[in-house]
Amino acid sequence: MISKFDYYKADSLEKAVGFLSEKPGTKVLAGGTDLMILLRRNKETCRHLLDIKGIPEANVLSFTPGEGLFIGAAITVNEICEDNGIREKYAALSEAADSLASYQIRNRATLVGNICNASPGADLAAPLLVYNGKVHISSKEGNRVVELKDFFTGVKKTVLKENELVVGISIPDVEPGDSSVYLRKSRIKGHDLCNVGLALRLTAERELLLAIAAVATTPIRLTELEASIKEKEITPELAEWLGDEIRKYMNPRRNSIRSSPEYRLHIAGVLAKKGLLNLLEKGAN
Amino acid sequence: MCNHHENKNCFEYVDSQMPRVFLELVVNGEKVQELIDPTMTLLNFLRINLKLFGTKEGCGEGECGACTIIMNNRTVNSCLVLAIEAQDADILTVEGLSKDGELSVLQQEFIKYDALQCGFCTPGMLMSARALLDRNPDPTTEEVKEGIAGNFCRCTGYQTIVDAILSAAKREREELR
Repeated sequence: MISKFDYYKADSLEKAVGFLSEKPGTKVLAGGTDLMILLRRNKETCRHLLDIKGIPEANVLSFTPGEGLFIGAAITVNEICEDNGIREKYAALSEAADSLASYQIRNRATLVGNICNASPGADLAAPLLVYNGKVHISSKEGNRVVELKDFFTGVKKTVLKENELVVGISIPDVEPGDSSVYLRKSRIKGHDLCNVGLALRLTAERELLLAIAAVATTPIRLTELEASIKEKEITPELAEWLGDEIRKYMNPRRNSIRSSPEYRLHIAGVLAKKGLLNLLEKGAN
Repeated sequence: MCNHHENKNCFEYVDSQMPRVFLELVVNGEKVQELIDPTMTLLNFLRINLKLFGTKEGCGEGECGACTIIMNNRTVNSCLVLAIEAQDADILTVEGLSKDGELSVLQQEFIKYDALQCGFCTPGMLMSARALLDRNPDPTTEEVKEGIAGNFCRCTGYQTIVDAILSAAKREREELR
């Protein structure tokens, strides 16, 4: 490791954002499952590490009826998996959390870290997108809230400035009858990145919402597709159409080592069809 | 000879010479206090400072699970955790599984079922299995496979490992409860 850094564990948000603005060359450390690899490979270097696991606000995982869910930046993926309330209300989020990497990694990796890392294939992005996730950002200058769909700007790039810290992500409460599903395809069963990750949500008003990962430079919410579905009735017959239609809204890259664009387009269609049937079956029970 | 800090492709641990930080934690039931390099991983701390060579470095990137240990009752890849992050933590490594010179039930079943060949993955595999049985004393075959999905074995083909864990689960339920 070329990086020579000191380590600071902040015990308050104020101290953390103060540290960030005073010390250039600081990297934020939550789970470390991405950062430690980049530091080891010398792809990233840093002079200071700011551990945010001691910040009280970052350790909050709370659900407020009528308001929704808040997931702090230090909440691990396994804490999401183990929360039965989340599984009941936001099924796609639990399913995406289950499918992320291995048990050991999920014990360290955080949901917010998965989002801040901004990989095009971030598993947890798609479910948060269909639930209209909001990113809560703090800096010494104050706080701001950014819609998750506006948060990603490119491969591993976000709107986050160097002196800013994500405190957590919130998603609104949902009405009874709202259901969702997350489907992914990876090369092997078990510990692998996804070739396509697709979240579908059917709201209580029978509006179909979709978001997809690993088929463009960022995870994307398929708003145009959603608009074209709006006039149609959500029935099992629509699944076939959806499977073909979804392929028009993505742009997988050609030089990926995991799979060809043709394969990803095909799989996206298969998953969309399967996902919608799956959702309708859930609703029928 | 590689000039570690200059060579971008060198993965060996070299002291960063940064100011020491004070670390206090419990490893296998014993309190440890040391001044350490803040850039050191927990894996290197265990192996280099504490001479606990049971925990292995495989990939160094959280893929293979050879460095799996139990930290505050949860498995982690110790290659991805900084030693200083383990401040006040309770650590269990493979060395802590046996009691008074007697191998644990899990270790005995690994031997009985030939659940290893070269043995490099075994310490990590044992820790994942230990954590699995702690949270689920009666796992199904599928649950065992999922529980060790983060541990690679390039020798056995996994079947004997799964058998050993299932057998250990059965024995633990019968003998230890």
